[in-house]
Amino acid sequence: MTGLVKFVGGFAIVAAMAMSAMPLVARADDKDVIDYRENIMKSLDAQTAMLGMMASTQVEPVDLISTTRSLALIAKQAQHSFDAKVLGGEAKPEIWANYADFKKKMDDFVVKTAEMEQDAKTGGLPVVMEKMVDVLTCKGCHDAYRAKK
Amino acid sequence: MTRFLQFAAGLAFAAVATMPVAVRAEDPTDVIDYRKLVMKSLGAQAAAMNATLQGKAPAENFATHAETLALVASQALVAFTPKIEGGDSKPEVWAKWDDFSKKMKEFQAATAEFAKLAQSGGAAAAQPKLQATLTCKGCHDAYRKPRG
Ligand code: HEC
Ligand code: HEC
Repeated sequence: MTGLVKFVGGFAIVAAMAMSAMPLVARADDKDVIDYRENIMKSLDAQTAMLGMMASTQVEPVDLISTTRSLALIAKQAQHSFDAKVLGGEAKPEIWANYADFKKKMDDFVVKTAEMEQDAKTGGLPVVMEKMVDVLTCKGCHDAYRAKK
Repeated sequence: MTRFLQFAAGLAFAAVATMPVAVRAEDPTDVIDYRKLVMKSLGAQAAAMNATLQGKAPAENFATHAETLALVASQALVAFTPKIEGGDSKPEVWAKWDDFSKKMKEFQAATAEFAKLAQSGGAAAAQPKLQATLTCKGCHDAYRKPRG
């Protein structure tokens, strides 16, 4: 399986090099791909936890704008970080078996976090809180596609 | 002390309504947790950004990592403003607040500049400034307890 993926991957690289659209400095190996998407998730987690502390009035909401903006940016980083079919980490194989559904969840997440950034600017914390459950669909995706270790 | 901070913070709020000076929280552990979350975001985004520069992750994400780092850097100073010792912070953070806050402001300015370069000129423009921007280790060596 991995062999096939690597073969296909290698093929794609040869093709890409032939087209020479992008200089391929180094070839990301599987561990790099997993580390990268996990770092994106870790920063999502930290910024979400900060927002949660503001929502529960544990801290003053001084970072509301920057937190919602970074969540929107990090969501965009996540958007394509599972495009490469690299099994491992806590990712379930179902991601790639149901990629259209996974991708839709990810795309929705990008749209909603971008809306939340706007809400933070126009309505502040009350509006952000009102919609938070609908925006932060982390659990919905994890239940389906993440095998928590 | 806390009352003074709150008073001072309130005053500054009134003075510069859009520029909050401190993350105020009732519970000291919340203050510590919060600044750790800021630092964790920095750690994960810096690692991800480096991967994009090393060809280990999509190069087109480089600029958004740089922008995210700058945003998070802007959260860092206020997160340390309440004098709550603990976590892995050395007491020197507050004993030498002038120096610490200077380092943090420089870090904030450098990441903002770096993000602009990344936006306008991509990795080629920004990368020469990488080392001067990521001053993480310099500050940690002085102000963060080594982990045992
Ligand atoms: C559309 C799907 C999806 C959404 C939305 C999503 N995640 Fe994830 N998340 C994943 C997958 C898949 C993994 C496993 C990645 C791996 O280990 O390879 C993961 C892993 C994680 C991890 C573990 C990272 C590590 O290895 O340390 C954390 C923490 C996390 N997500 C937090 C969040 C938070 C917080 C949100 C919402 C703000 C979120 N995620 C939204 C799919 C998603
Ligand atoms: C001006 C000082 C300063 C700068 C700059 C700085 N840090 Fe920190 N960092 C600290 C201090 C102080 C702590 C300890 C916080 C605590 O536990 O109370 C810390 C803690 C951390 C932690 C541990 C968080 C945890 O989980 O406990 C990480 C990771 C981290 N920093 C990453 C970074 C990265 C990456 C950068 C640069 C991109 C950076 N820091 C820049 C002062 C700084």
